[in-house]
Amino acid sequence: MKAVFLLQWRRFYRKPMLVLAMFGLTVIFVSVTAAGGQSGPQMIPVYADESMSELQAQTWLELLNSGDQFQFELMAETEARSYVAEGDVSQAVNLLETDYRLLVGREDPARFALDSFLRRIYSEELRLENAEQTTPGIRGEMESALSDPALSLSVESLQGEEDSFQYNGQLQLLFGMTLFFVIYTIMFSLVRIVDEKRTGTWSRMIISPVRKWQMYLGHLGYSFLIGFSQITLIFLLFRFAFGFELGERFWLLIAIAACYTFSIVAFGLLIISLITKPQQLGAVIPIVATGMAMVGGAFWPIELVTNEILLVVSKALPITYGLQALTSVAVYGNGVQAVAMPLLLLLGFGSICMAIAIRLMEWRSSP
Amino acid sequence: MLETDKLTKQFKDVIAVDDVSLVLMRGESVGLLGPNGAGKSTAIAMISTLMKPSSGDVRLNGKSVLKKPDDMRRVLGVVPQKIALYEELSAYENLKFFGRLYGLSGNKLEQRIEYVLELVGLADRKKELVKNYSGGMQRRVNLAAAMMHEPEVLIMDEPTVGIDPQSRNHLLETIRKLNRDEGMTVLYTSHYMEEVEKLCDRVYIMDHGKVIAEGTKEELKAILSDQETVLIEFDQNYPELFIKLSEIEGVQHSTIEEQSLKLIIPRGTRMLAALFHEAERYGAQVINVNVQTPTLEDVFLRLTGRKLRD
Ligand SMILES: Nc1ncnc2c1ncn2[C@@H]1O[C@H](COP(=O)(O)OP(=O)(O)OP(=O)(O)O)[C@@H](O)[C@H]1O
Ligand SMILES: [Mg+2]
Repeated sequence: MKAVFLLQWRRFYRKPMLVLAMFGLTVIFVSVTAAGGQSGPQMIPVYADESMSELQAQTWLELLNSGDQFQFELMAETEARSYVAEGDVSQAVNLLETDYRLLVGREDPARFALDSFLRRIYSEELRLENAEQTTPGIRGEMESALSDPALSLSVESLQGEEDSFQYNGQLQLLFGMTLFFVIYTIMFSLVRIVDEKRTGTWSRMIISPVRKWQMYLGHLGYSFLIGFSQITLIFLLFRFAFGFELGERFWLLIAIAACYTFSIVAFGLLIISLITKPQQLGAVIPIVATGMAMVGGAFWPIELVTNEILLVVSKALPITYGLQALTSVAVYGNGVQAVAMPLLLLLGFGSICMAIAIRLMEWRSSP
Repeated sequence: MLETDKLTKQFKDVIAVDDVSLVLMRGESVGLLGPNGAGKSTAIAMISTLMKPSSGDVRLNGKSVLKKPDDMRRVLGVVPQKIALYEELSAYENLKFFGRLYGLSGNKLEQRIEYVLELVGLADRKKELVKNYSGGMQRRVNLAAAMMHEPEVLIMDEPTVGIDPQSRNHLLETIRKLNRDEGMTVLYTSHYMEEVEKLCDRVYIMDHGKVIAEGTKEELKAILSDQETVLIEFDQNYPELFIKLSEIEGVQHSTIEEQSLKLIIPRGTRMLAALFHEAERYGAQVINVNVQTPTLEDVFLRLTGRKLRD
């Protein structure tokens, strides 16, 4: 078994492109698309009017950066304009002494948030300035009062957390794409079994002392590990390099990834065993992967699907449970109990697929 | 040491192998001859425990291998008809894998790889990928892979198909060496008569799933010992004349080709006069007449009414 398993890694080393492409596509897809979403504070170029002094502009900038939704950066007008013109950002802010102007390049939902944020900062500041002219020293008093409140309120929701739909576009994208692309990686590595049967290396193994279950285990072990590594590396990459908020229980996400990978390996094997002509696999795999991803909620949240039939179908797909479990842990902050059910379903589903698939393959190859 | 007993394989509508009993003695080199579809590969698949026979038995040293294939798997090396290698890997990597399948590792594995590569003459190109090799070199690796575990019995299924004469000679030489010098038992399948004549002590001839003749080369040729082969070459094709000649009294078998005619006649038949007489009548020019003792090819032709290769 070890020989068969190690051989697959050797073959990966010699022909890594497909797997690397799937890895790369996931990273590119998620990072490019998420950059337009709410990943971290959005950068907003800021430029000052000539009427304003450098010092005044700096003071405004500090005020603006007191929130954490946006990241304002002071620069020359020409630079700010070129940012907008080239589409790197959707808008820039022109600071005036008592007012501001938005320079809008393209429509962005964030504009309304930006506008209301600016309006609030400006009106507060202007009101404070007015007040200070009549009552000097009020600013200092206010600040100390704010930092030492006489009464503090905390708000807690009585509703269970699961009931309210929280949408985290960034994580939805990350989980969806990762689970989607890994289907390709896994299924194409499983196709090697079919290829070996075609080229005759499979027969060579059969007439050697190696047992058939060892041959299968070597292959399946490789497919599992390559898929599992892909998911894990992507999660690590986005958490540590891109700073995605993946919740407190990272290890639980990895455990979910393992269960999901197992179920896809088994499911993929079943598909492969059902297809009689190896040439058809090239067409069937993308259809299966994309279809599963669409219905299972990899491209848009399953909560948006209302079609009864699709919902029923989605219940039979491992990707649905994978996504559900990942979201439950990373977005809603749930623990093991909350995802035990989907994980068991994944494992059970996988075991059943695997049993049927191997039986089917063996039955077919012995005339 | 290895024998098959009334081995039979029936697919849905064809009986690919029909009641075949072969014997291989230790150290022997045996040929298995037959035209396309004769059932050679199917017989080999059953002998090598790849396929279950419909009936009959395969025995190694007297013990059936159908229920317990392990002993057979350890001592048998099979060179498949199709090249069965990982072509994205190098020759070295392929051999390493096939060696590991048989439990080889470490130094022993490395030494064996070196030895086998040396044997097939690829030691200096072992790092190259199999897909970049020529057809002949791929065939040689195909053989090398079956040699990794020092098999006692080597079965080769048309190992020289589609390769250049140089690689072919090298391969045949290698096999001869293994058989003569190392005492390896060899079953060699081919439809190249001259290869079998060169390599094998004994020959089985198969057609339509059945063994139709067996024996040493001499024994087989003796089937035709009271006959001779007359090969007549003309300047062009004369269909009517050829038919006429085939019907001359005494001719037992005839084969017509483009511009030549092959007749099998009882030894000592005087027919040349009649031949030239007929040729004269048709205005045909005889370029060459050759009287030969029969080859295995002729034996085959006689037995099956077919040529080995189309
Ligand atoms: N898996 C199979 N299913 C059905 N028929 C088969 C199968 N394998 C072989 N046959 C048939 O069995 C017969 C013998 O085939 P086999 O491959 O053993 O011939 P062969 O002597 O090796 O021929 P060749 O010289 O072309 O390799 C052929 O008629 C072939 O069509
Ligand atoms: Mg064959």
